[in-house]
Amino acid sequence: MKKPLHQHIGHHARRVGRHVTKYLYKRDTLFSTVWVFVFIIVLGSIPVNFYFLNPLKLALKDFDFHDMAHAKLHVYEDRFDRRITIVNIGMADREQLAALIDKTAEMKPRVMGLDVLLEGPKDPYKDSVLAATVSRCANLVLASRLEWKDEKDPYKENFFRTPGTGEGYANMLAEDIATVRLWAPFFENEKDSHAKPYKSFASSILEKYDSTAFKRLVKRNKETETINYSRRQDRYYQLEGESILAGLENDSLIRDRIILFGYIGADESDILDKKFTPMNKKYYGKSIPDMNGVAVHANMLSMALDNHFIRKMPGWFNWLLAILIGWIHMAIFIKYYIDHHIWFHLVAKIAQLLSAIFFVYLDIWLYEKYRVKLDMKMTLIVIVMAVDVIYFYEAWATWMHRRFKYRTVFGHHGTGH
Amino acid sequence: MKKIRLLVLSSCLGLLANAQNNFMLYSFKGNVTILEQAVESKARVGKIMNNSAMVKIAAGGLVTLVCNEAAMFTISKPGTYPLHKFADSCKVNHSSFTSNYIKYIWSQMTKSSGSPGSNRKAYMNTVGAVSRGINNIWIDPRLDTVNYSGGAFPLSWKSYTEANEFVFYLYPAGNRNTVVYMATVSKLKIPISGFAAKMTAGESYEWIAAIKGEENEERKVLNYVSKETFNSLLETIKNQGAPFEAPAEQAYRTGFMLEDAHYLAEAYEYYSKATLLDPANALYRSTLMSFKKDYEIK
Repeated sequence: MKKPLHQHIGHHARRVGRHVTKYLYKRDTLFSTVWVFVFIIVLGSIPVNFYFLNPLKLALKDFDFHDMAHAKLHVYEDRFDRRITIVNIGMADREQLAALIDKTAEMKPRVMGLDVLLEGPKDPYKDSVLAATVSRCANLVLASRLEWKDEKDPYKENFFRTPGTGEGYANMLAEDIATVRLWAPFFENEKDSHAKPYKSFASSILEKYDSTAFKRLVKRNKETETINYSRRQDRYYQLEGESILAGLENDSLIRDRIILFGYIGADESDILDKKFTPMNKKYYGKSIPDMNGVAVHANMLSMALDNHFIRKMPGWFNWLLAILIGWIHMAIFIKYYIDHHIWFHLVAKIAQLLSAIFFVYLDIWLYEKYRVKLDMKMTLIVIVMAVDVIYFYEAWATWMHRRFKYRTVFGHHGTGH
Repeated sequence: MKKIRLLVLSSCLGLLANAQNNFMLYSFKGNVTILEQAVESKARVGKIMNNSAMVKIAAGGLVTLVCNEAAMFTISKPGTYPLHKFADSCKVNHSSFTSNYIKYIWSQMTKSSGSPGSNRKAYMNTVGAVSRGINNIWIDPRLDTVNYSGGAFPLSWKSYTEANEFVFYLYPAGNRNTVVYMATVSKLKIPISGFAAKMTAGESYEWIAAIKGEENEERKVLNYVSKETFNSLLETIKNQGAPFEAPAEQAYRTGFMLEDAHYLAEAYEYYSKATLLDPANALYRSTLMSFKKDYEIK
């Protein structure tokens, strides 16, 4: 008589359970897991980079699994952010910028951010025109720059800064020519520990636009925030500065909004002030940058306004997860290594592949659903290394057995048990 | 022992024989002759010569030689030159590949493995803003390197600010102390033909455009290519065509390939030619119009 389905499932589940638990609590499983971490820590402590000889690692150096979520799995908003409008300044010079700000200010935006570095004087007439405009606009935030190579004076303030004007550094926290994932909302003033920290450009705009959101950001007290890119560049309203100057725009996209004045290239090939972001449709290998700096600032603002910050799991949790999953994998691998050696490599490879797929999925799912960022890198490294460490562990356990009568399950070479 | 000595000796002789430099006549201009084993012959592009040969250059002539398939140099002064005197110009650092590889390994292995999250100060170099600071001039990246052998073509730029006068400087490549040509212009461009006479074919130059009274550090490269070199390239391009290529098609393809090879003046000539030969072709017309617009050709 045939068994019912639930009994079949139960039978197989028990079988799998036995596979996992047979060696789970053996000291060999525990010690071999410990050895995996010893190897990881020792190799990680060598102050030498070996990755440069690994083309795969080189190609994926700037890769994060979460990029896949933004680029391919549609973890972003299709709706426009109605609070922010980007105004393309094109090639406008200082005088034209002044005219553009004046014209925009007439339409009563809540805050204006000029994402342009204005360092030092230029033309006296044009400078005076812009200075007059800046002094009139209390709701204007100017861009500055942090230059840490200049130890004496790292903060390069905007030339047009006045006591009443908002200002924030426009630096992005990223390697050169790499994906911009992090945002440093504040930076301590190292020259004067009693002074207020430097604010980033987006933080300064946020302060003027929504004091609650700003206080929330301050309260988080994070040195770095992972930018939760919610919109591609085209999901922010964009106006041409020339159209505003020509009086062709009404105030519907300006009144009571955050207006970000910045440079938007005419086409994709114009990469001036363009950054790589996780929203890049080509998220690995060689590609062209996909988002202008002003839109990156807009994404920072959207995140802070919506309180959609990404929560990073603490390091100890990632380690604990890696230990737990590494331990279970080790138990399965040892089971096959000893009891079904002929299948060991096949099972190990399949287990590694399935684990990689599952844990990456879990990682992205948590990111998408709850904006929780797990670092599964360690877990995946443990799973990959476990197979190789078994060989080492067998030799070590056999030697220990000969020398100190260490009890081990690796007895099939005639020296154990 | 004798055998070892013989082996060492023969190896040394072999090395000496290898030390003989081979020169290839890459290009020449004017009256250039070659003197080999007391026989004088006219210069011919592609001619291979050894150390014992001599090159005679008459006034107004110049010759470009390639030594050991690696080093290239040009002699532009008239005179007779025994080629063995150019041993220095032929030196190819055989260890460069190895040493470069070791240098790369060293730099990569000792490179800090920090990350933006753990060392914020080291990773704040990218700025998410454009600048309206010191440099007011923007030059199209497509003009980064221009190869030029002749024809009408302007070097152009854009200005972020209104200015009446711009200064154009031309320097020999890698030498900013010597100004080959300087001009003040009111337009946002300068025709190369206007200063071509100041340049020497086969030489590379760098140019800068700045608003008068301001500085611009951004240099662009202008290679003044000899007619011979260009013609050789042109021949290669023409020979790559399909067997039944119409003249207009050939002209368009040539223009496209020349543009790709940074021969912009020459590409313009061939795009114009294609449009003239087949005025009804919308692709030829639009390409020519875009090309003229992109490079400020009126």
